[in-house]
Amino acid sequence: MDKKQGEHQPILEIKNLKLNFHTYLGEVKALNGVNLKLYPEEVLALVGESGCGKSVTALAIIGLLPENAHITEGEILFKGENLLKKSKEEMRKFRMTECAIVFQDPATYLNPVLKMETQLKEVILLHKEDLKRAVIAEEKGEKIGYEEFLAMKNVVDKQNKNYKVSQKKINEMAEKLILDILKLVKLPDPQRILKSYPHELSGGMKQRTMIAMALARRPSLFLADEITTALDVTIQAQILYLLKELRKKIATSTLMITHDLSVAAEIADRIAVMYAGNVVEVGPTRAIFKEPFHPYTQMLLKAIPNIRNPTTRLESIPGTVPEMINPPPGCRFNPRCSFAMDVCRKDKPELKEVKMGHEVACHLYE
Amino acid sequence: MKTRRGEWEARLADIKYSLYLLRKNPLVMAGTLIAAFFILLALLANIIVDPKLAYPEGYPGGMYPFERKYVWNANHFIQWGPGVSLYYGPEFFPLGTDSYGRDLLKMIILAIPVDLYYATIITIVSAIIGTLIGAVASYAGGIADEIVLRITDVFFAFPALVLALVFASILGRSLETLTLALILVWWPPYTRLMRGQVLSEKEKPYVEALKALGASNIRILFRHIIPNAIFPILVQATMDFGGVILTFSALMFLGFSPSPAIPELGNLAADGYGHIFDAPWVILFPGLTMLIISLAFNLVGDGLRDVLDPRLRR
Amino acid sequence: MKLYEYIIRRLILLIFVLFAVSILVFYFTRGFPRGIAPWAAYIHPKMTAEQIQQVIKEHGFDRPIYEQYFYWLRDVLRGDWGLTGAWAQGKPANEVFFNHFPYTVELSVFATIITVAIGLPMGIISALKNNKLPDHVCRVIALAGYSTPAYWFGFMLQLVFFYYFSVWGLPNLPSSGASTLGKPNITGLPILDGLLTGNFVYAWDEFLHLILPSFSLAFISLGFLARIVRASMLEVLRQDYIVMARSKGLKERVVIYRHALKNALIPAVTLTGIFFANLLGGAMITEYVFSWPGVGQQALRAIFQGDSNFILLYSLVFAVIIVLANLVVDVLYAFLDPRIKY
Repeated sequence: MDKKQGEHQPILEIKNLKLNFHTYLGEVKALNGVNLKLYPEEVLALVGESGCGKSVTALAIIGLLPENAHITEGEILFKGENLLKKSKEEMRKFRMTECAIVFQDPATYLNPVLKMETQLKEVILLHKEDLKRAVIAEEKGEKIGYEEFLAMKNVVDKQNKNYKVSQKKINEMAEKLILDILKLVKLPDPQRILKSYPHELSGGMKQRTMIAMALARRPSLFLADEITTALDVTIQAQILYLLKELRKKIATSTLMITHDLSVAAEIADRIAVMYAGNVVEVGPTRAIFKEPFHPYTQMLLKAIPNIRNPTTRLESIPGTVPEMINPPPGCRFNPRCSFAMDVCRKDKPELKEVKMGHEVACHLYE
Repeated sequence: MKTRRGEWEARLADIKYSLYLLRKNPLVMAGTLIAAFFILLALLANIIVDPKLAYPEGYPGGMYPFERKYVWNANHFIQWGPGVSLYYGPEFFPLGTDSYGRDLLKMIILAIPVDLYYATIITIVSAIIGTLIGAVASYAGGIADEIVLRITDVFFAFPALVLALVFASILGRSLETLTLALILVWWPPYTRLMRGQVLSEKEKPYVEALKALGASNIRILFRHIIPNAIFPILVQATMDFGGVILTFSALMFLGFSPSPAIPELGNLAADGYGHIFDAPWVILFPGLTMLIISLAFNLVGDGLRDVLDPRLRR
Repeated sequence: MKLYEYIIRRLILLIFVLFAVSILVFYFTRGFPRGIAPWAAYIHPKMTAEQIQQVIKEHGFDRPIYEQYFYWLRDVLRGDWGLTGAWAQGKPANEVFFNHFPYTVELSVFATIITVAIGLPMGIISALKNNKLPDHVCRVIALAGYSTPAYWFGFMLQLVFFYYFSVWGLPNLPSSGASTLGKPNITGLPILDGLLTGNFVYAWDEFLHLILPSFSLAFISLGFLARIVRASMLEVLRQDYIVMARSKGLKERVVIYRHALKNALIPAVTLTGIFFANLLGGAMITEYVFSWPGVGQQALRAIFQGDSNFILLYSLVFAVIIVLANLVVDVLYAFLDPRIKY
């Protein structure tokens, strides 16, 4: 698996991204040179404590940063193009066709006064051209479901340009496809769900509809921002299982943001560990767990209870996350690091490959 | 004592932040400046203009010696058009004269402190009464709360003006009774506002903690709940100030003033009621002053509301 | 609790409020020692003392106050609201009231339409361009609106649109009163009746007469509405589901119209309802300034004369209107926001 990915080009590459938040108390230097690569069809978990900048990174990718955020340096390359240089309209199209994000708390991210029907259909109705083709194909006798719809993406069809399809038929096709997707995310009784309002659904169901909304636009890039955090453990397991199943069917590259290493272990091909605005270690899941290089990663793993050794003492990491208005100079982890050297307080370490596919940003390994 | 200082430091930092936000908003700054200007003017009014000009000696009861009633200066750069009687005498009236021949500008200056003074009294007293009743009743709960709620319901079944008119007509025509009438009209909104605040504060964990520590109810209410709930009241009071001035002068305009000669903005405007086309300045300028004063205070209040909205702060 | 239970509860409350209001107003107009004498409305200065005593006996003002109240209540329940004083030619109070009420309704409807038509977009624009120039301009206009003295603005409008327009040779709007080109016989609403009877000149003339007073009223309310809409929109635009809508790749216009507005307008709708009810009862000053033959103008005269019968009728009708309006608005809220269940 490692070799294969070494040959591919990354579909998403973040280069040295620096981002500040402008607040009353000062500039919060949230991202301090983030470097990240996401390869096609893989699941990369972005792991870190609260406040380390994971969600901010996702928002930066999709272009939905709040007003007081300023990107001071860096690039976000998607299929070679720098997203930061794109216009608002181009970013909108990007969100429409290429990138989908699912957020953490489904309760607040769904519009309470609109029926689920409206909120689900509006996503798919944006792809009028493909819907039109689907209707035409269906009239010719082909079977059209979500999988066929998926296949239509990026295939330009010039034949039927002037063929008129009524709005009503397009709406019907949209509804059909949505029902198909809802079945795909294992929602029982999809018809009833369409007619419901968000507050009538349970947390797990809401989260599944959010995933359905993401699937409806057939993204090549899927961002999942702590999507299981707000759910209780059994639902969490169900959602993860669903994601694994979907993964086999739909070849999207996924950036899975979570603070829970066990979630990462469950579903990710590679893990990137973030601390205080930097990616400090990146590597295949197994390698990270077996041989963590960065001191932070090592301590993170020691803090997880081991089911095989229930009596070993859990260790916590001394100190607290640094406040980002005046972060520590050099490597931001140095105040809490038991291996800190002089150079750590002066120079920020860069990501270097130590083993095949496994990179670390630490002066210990230079 | 350490906690007390910590409390005040936190409050001070909060206030500093509020001032910072206020400064960022140019409209609010403009409003504050204008309001400050008028307050200053009010304080100095009796020094700038001789108050006896409103009531010349020896002529009580509205019989004024001047011949120059409702006139406008012939050489003024504003020309009002046909029908206006012009004054060719030696004195210059920048804003014309009123029905008694008094200089309108000087009357307006004398009127400002009157309006501001009564509006301040009305706002403060009704705010205090309303807040206290609301806080005590809703904190106590039970029957007291119900009764107070029903009473405010009855008051709300009237528009403010009608209620004020009814009270004013029965209480008689003097500035003090008008003030009383308006206070009676204006306290229910504060009660409702305070009630909402206290009810939500009551459920918060810190109240339970205070009770567990043995604090008496009075102490909890006055030293903890009320200071936390006070901000919306302050905002409301500032915004109400403009409304109170308007209503007060409206009542005077409609005829509740004890004497038509009292310098008060509504009263001055009432003079010009029948002469709107041939002496428009008599209504125009007092009303315009009223508008500017009210606007200034409303700007400040509105800005305050924006600033103190807890969801808009970072 | 169920919806109809809630409504019934509120209606019972209404009855309580009506009693309280009637007792209070009764006491204030007839029993309060310092006020205007209750018979003042029925006498004129030329009457002798005996004639005055006769008037007092006729109307029963010499009886103790609670007796007076019971007689009044009994009469009212039979539909007899008593006679008005000399200021309204002694006609029955409800006749005077309902003759003038349609004019107030007309005025209120128009003023509400103008308020919503201007105030709503103003609030929305203010919110969308928050803290930029359009926001500041709208804010000043809105605040100027409710800082304006009602008496002043009406006169200014008359001055400009009636007087100066005619002086300058422009077509002018009538300055006061309602149209006299016809009579509202069917529904009582002049414009409607004009249209129904085919008397279009009458309807149009009435419309012209309505423009200035409605605008005067509306100017004061639209500021309030604009501020509320602005605050509501700002609140909604900050919500997570708006970020979600944007993340779907929807056009910004769709995000605003479909997602934000529906949520933001709920408080605005309810507020408009309350506005309308208030306008129905209390456009006194505007009616006075424009000599508009509505119920507010009559009420003003009644209060000055101390005519207790009319004042009672007016207060009670208005109390009913306000409480019902509050009730309708609350129920409407439940329909508009699917989260609220009864």
